[in-house]
Amino acid sequence: MLTGLDIEGTTLLHRASARLKLIALFAVAAGLFAVSNVWLLAAFAIIAAGLYASTGIGLREAFRRVRFVLFTVLLVALANYLFHSLSDALAVLFRLGTLVLLAAAVTATTTVSAFMDEIAVLLRPLERLGLLRAADVSLAVGLVLRFAPEILARYGDIREAHRARGLRVRPLSVLVPLVILTLKDADTIAMAIDARGFRRQ
Amino acid sequence: MSTRDIVLVALFAAIIVVLGMLPPITFGFIPVPITAQSLGVMLAGCILGAKRGAAACLLVVLLVAIGLPVLSGGRGGLAVFAGPTAGYLVGWVAGAFVTGLIAERLVRDSQTEFMQFASFFLAAVVGGIGVVYLLGIAWLSFMSGKAFVETAIASLVFIPGDLIKAFVAMLAARAVQAGYPLLPVRT
Repeated sequence: MLTGLDIEGTTLLHRASARLKLIALFAVAAGLFAVSNVWLLAAFAIIAAGLYASTGIGLREAFRRVRFVLFTVLLVALANYLFHSLSDALAVLFRLGTLVLLAAAVTATTTVSAFMDEIAVLLRPLERLGLLRAADVSLAVGLVLRFAPEILARYGDIREAHRARGLRVRPLSVLVPLVILTLKDADTIAMAIDARGFRRQ
Repeated sequence: MSTRDIVLVALFAAIIVVLGMLPPITFGFIPVPITAQSLGVMLAGCILGAKRGAAACLLVVLLVAIGLPVLSGGRGGLAVFAGPTAGYLVGWVAGAFVTGLIAERLVRDSQTEFMQFASFFLAAVVGGIGVVYLLGIAWLSFMSGKAFVETAIASLVFIPGDLIKAFVAMLAARAVQAGYPLLPVRT
């Protein structure tokens, strides 16, 4: 149910290392705010759209993924047009549009495990200070992926139980048992993790 | 953090993810459907407390960043962070922390039911709305160029919906506190 947003492929972006892509993305993001020429920004947006399309994602899926963020970008651009000028609006539209499309391209070409490896690198300073352990973070990520489908199924069960008793399904009367039943599992799960010595303690 | 704390954090993050998968809730008296995900943020602070609540939200933000479609409507990936509303998402972490901080200080088992309701509501409003909007609007202003005042004001239209969520969070948090208390006490 919870699968990554990466698309399989062998394009240049797929083969580039995750770290390189992330650093490049941050550099471009910072650089874009220094550019205010609308024509230049429009050119960047076209290049970004080209890169995103070149990941082999397919137009429908590509649009479905970014439509909400692009919609908010459009609203912000519209506000700039209404209260300031058309050139301000276009600059915002192309600048943020470029950023969104590039970010979506990085996500589409980087696997979840490649991202997790980079997260582990970023956490290394914190690990040295003894604040947290990278292994605990990946354990937590794994637990979410393991239990989210289970919690969704439990939500379905609670709804069924309401229907069976002829009760209306209210947000509150579903939410409370869902939270309590889920969090009550924590002790058993923690015991199972410790019994297997996953955290080497 | 103990193993139990890590599991509680992960399970609550999973609850927030599931809240994003449910169809939006509609209330009879307002026309706008409400997604339950930001309700989960208020609940994280009210139920798990500051530290674990913020960790649960941080975990959700991390899942979004590594390319999992965990936000409502199946959204996810780095594109979310590139958009003008990313501050609201990052604000969840600080929001849950402040919510938890207030709840830990105010809520006591010896209180009357009304006082507990009032404490949870205050925590959810200050942390889940105040802090989240503060970070959300700051980021929005930075991203929206010259029209930053107008976009900031426009984003306030979501406040009534969020007040309803704070109300639901208050009722749910108090019910969980009565049935399975996890909130640490801070003096």
